[in-house]
Amino acid sequence: MGKRDRNLYYGKKLLLFLGSVFLLSVVVFYVARLAPGDPLVSYYGDRTEKMSPAEREWAMEKLGLNEPIYVQYVKWLENAVHGNFGISFKYKQDVIKVISQRMTNTLLLGGIGFLIIFAGSLLLGIFCAWNEEKWIDKILCRLGTISSCIPEFWISLVLILIFSVTLRILPSSGAYSTGKAADIPDRILHLILPLTVVSLEHLWYYAYMVRNKIQEEVRADYVLLAKSKGLGKKGILFGHCLRNVMPSYLSIMAIAVPHVLGGTFVVESVFSYPGIGALSYESARYHDYNLLMILCMISGILVIFCNMLSQIINEHIDPRIRAREITDTSEVTDL
Amino acid sequence: MMETANDSFQIVGQRPAPERTARLPKKWFQGKPLISIMILAAIILGCLCAELIMTKDPTYMDLQNYNQAPNREFLFGTDTMGRDIFSMLWYGGRISLTIGVLSTFISTFLAIVIGSFCGIAPQWLDSLLMRFTEIFLSIPSLLLIILFQAVWGKANVFSLSVVIGLTSWTSIAKVVRTEVRQIRNNEYVIASRCMGGNFFHILWKHLTPNFLPSIMFMVVMNIRSAIISESTLSFMGIGLPLEIISWGSMLSLAEKALLTSSWWIILIPGIFLITTLLCMTNIGNYLRRSGNQKESNL
Repeated sequence: MGKRDRNLYYGKKLLLFLGSVFLLSVVVFYVARLAPGDPLVSYYGDRTEKMSPAEREWAMEKLGLNEPIYVQYVKWLENAVHGNFGISFKYKQDVIKVISQRMTNTLLLGGIGFLIIFAGSLLLGIFCAWNEEKWIDKILCRLGTISSCIPEFWISLVLILIFSVTLRILPSSGAYSTGKAADIPDRILHLILPLTVVSLEHLWYYAYMVRNKIQEEVRADYVLLAKSKGLGKKGILFGHCLRNVMPSYLSIMAIAVPHVLGGTFVVESVFSYPGIGALSYESARYHDYNLLMILCMISGILVIFCNMLSQIINEHIDPRIRAREITDTSEVTDL
Repeated sequence: MMETANDSFQIVGQRPAPERTARLPKKWFQGKPLISIMILAAIILGCLCAELIMTKDPTYMDLQNYNQAPNREFLFGTDTMGRDIFSMLWYGGRISLTIGVLSTFISTFLAIVIGSFCGIAPQWLDSLLMRFTEIFLSIPSLLLIILFQAVWGKANVFSLSVVIGLTSWTSIAKVVRTEVRQIRNNEYVIASRCMGGNFFHILWKHLTPNFLPSIMFMVVMNIRSAIISESTLSFMGIGLPLEIISWGSMLSLAEKALLTSSWWIILIPGIFLITTLLCMTNIGNYLRRSGNQKESNL
């Protein structure tokens, strides 16, 4: 691939990315505004009921809600490009200010969770493949299947029941005890249970994938060759097989990022952890349009970006994927 | 003389023939998830005939006996509103299972139509639709569900099924699309099209039988995830209200139960739910394995 080609390739991807983000913003904007409900309630609270029609009119104009939707959208887009995402109706603050604190909390939970899942499922997958068809592998597979059936909120409840209510060793809610925002051990204590749930929920899914990939890999012919060359089991597995498995694992993990972050939504609500999960629920429920828009855009951009990343990784590993798309256009359909 | 010669003479490298054990023909039930099927059947049957099993009226709030631990009268105890958990399990299972099946029906129908349409459509339309699917996927499904619910008003069984169905068709649609792209240029499809078969005729008569085995596994898994979605949504207070009994809405009382550490309110419905889901997973895995076997034999 020449330099020009590469520039063209990434340029195309960038265009696609921007196009998708734009479309996403249009869809979310329209869906949010067309959903029935009174956005004034989130700004004025209960006072809305006592408003006279003239007052309502004035309030709508003040918030810029009386214009046709496409005009509102263009205005929003104009401001957004300049970094101004408007104010939250409920908190009456710049939305960036509203979410920044909570965003760190969510990123902390999701980020550490993701790292645990990333390392843990790789190790677990290798361990299972190493002990393939032995009793430990079988037990782990069983446990994994069961763990995949347990809803997140239920396992959270059970953990709270065991560790907070019965044993009283771990806190059951919040990100820190009152007045201890800077206390790091306290924060860690609060993170243990939510983190356990977040990682348990996804760990097995990816570990199983790794296990199957390695299982396929060790049946390849080059393993026989390496064996006859005198390489040990460890050498073959870590030196050759893992190397072949890694790229596809990376591309899968890229897609996993938004899944893991999305999974934190439910966990946040059970543990009343102050993250963006509860915030996005609130904003959708009470028509806090600007807040809803930015939250949707953040998660949407993350999903689109990660999907694209995984596609790029895949295409780098196997250029045939790209070639396939080209043959697709010429109506050749045998894949 | 002969005997000694026989004894001292050895054929080098001779290996005793391994004894062949006559392999019994596979019984019809071998390799099938029989226990899972039986448990699942028992649960479904129990939910269908809930009236026969129930010991109490599941909707009756017995305010004298609220928050009772399991005892002889209330087999699995009562919840914080004084309802009998044993009766609620069977009665509520009906609604949970209905939502699972109904929403999967909706999502599978959507997936087959959209997936086949993408598979048959010309390249540009296909890429466009796939791009749309991706954007649709990138909106967090929880938000989508809340927005749909907002449009619909108060949640009921049907609206919840539609909402879950509308947000869970994409993965099946992708598989259907790939399969259809592979078989669409087969002679019989072309022949059918030449004879004037329209889109739905080709879809139903020629395409569906071909991709059905490969999506069966996903369909079963979809029922599973729909039941999980229902319980999660009801638990968070976005799904079914407390009056409509389902496994999810039963668990939405859990926060109160935590305060009084009444474990039965949390554990019993949860174990029931997980058993059902586990049976479905086992059946789904079996379907996937049997589907794969057929492919490799070809």
